[in-house]
Amino acid sequence: MVCPLANFEEVFKTEHGAVYQCSRQNCYWLDFAGATTAFKVNDFFNFKKRIDAIDLSAMIIDPSRTADFTIVMPFRTPRCYVLDINGVLNLRELLDGAKFMIELNSVVSACLQVTSHGA
Amino acid sequence: MKDLLRLKTSLNEEIEAILNAQIKMEAHASSVYLAMSAWCDDQGYDASATFFSEQSEEERKHMMKLFNYVNDRGGKAISPEITNIPADFESFRSVFEEMLEQEMHVTQQFNIIADKCIKLKDFVTFQFIQWFLEEQIEEEYVARRILEMFDVIGEEGMGRWEIDKHIPKVKYEG
Repeated sequence: MVCPLANFEEVFKTEHGAVYQCSRQNCYWLDFAGATTAFKVNDFFNFKKRIDAIDLSAMIIDPSRTADFTIVMPFRTPRCYVLDINGVLNLRELLDGAKFMIELNSVVSACLQVTSHGA
Repeated sequence: MKDLLRLKTSLNEEIEAILNAQIKMEAHASSVYLAMSAWCDDQGYDASATFFSEQSEEERKHMMKLFNYVNDRGGKAISPEITNIPADFESFRSVFEEMLEQEMHVTQQFNIIADKCIKLKDFVTFQFIQWFLEEQIEEEYVARRILEMFDVIGEEGMGRWEIDKHIPKVKYEG
């Protein structure tokens, strides 16, 4: 459940989840695997790095049952993600898209500032 | 949409990563100089031991300067893990050859950072890096001058004792 005080805008959405920005609380909300989680800006990018660092090849090659899943517990959230290979890929796609849109927004904002100051 | 990214940090992700790599390199250099100091002390080169101890402290200051800059600009400085520090060296001369090689490598890395800053139009970091580039002129000069002393004084007889005695006098006047 997203915080009722949140004033959020959609950053990026796939069929598996979405990322929203709350401009009132300056945070990102991740809607994935049936749950919503708030991340501060830094925590969000650190979480993305952790997901990107998951070794999918090792998960595929390792025949043990425990290797089929990986557990990710982001700091400062109550969430615990238990991800299989599909889950990791879906989450990566979502976070990659969100990161791209966040950076694009930043570049556009910078360009608009330059344009408005130059005008 | 509000730009949360720039509210948090003014550092580009690539710049932050390359500065963190440089923090690690400075920490590594500091540890290597400390190892050199211990080796020189063990071999009886007292002045060189003090010289390398001071060099180690200087490298740590460089590391902290970079570390604080990353944090001050809203980035996340990473405390580096340092491994593979040598405990033994081939000879008195080889210690200074390694010093020069290390300093040349550090200069090269700062050149790469400066190049990256220009490409990404991060002129604030580019300006910050200038201090390190100037510092590298001194570091390389001192290492080269000391190595030249090995040829000028010679290592035979009391040569190494004489070289050790002269090492604190090597200064870059700029």
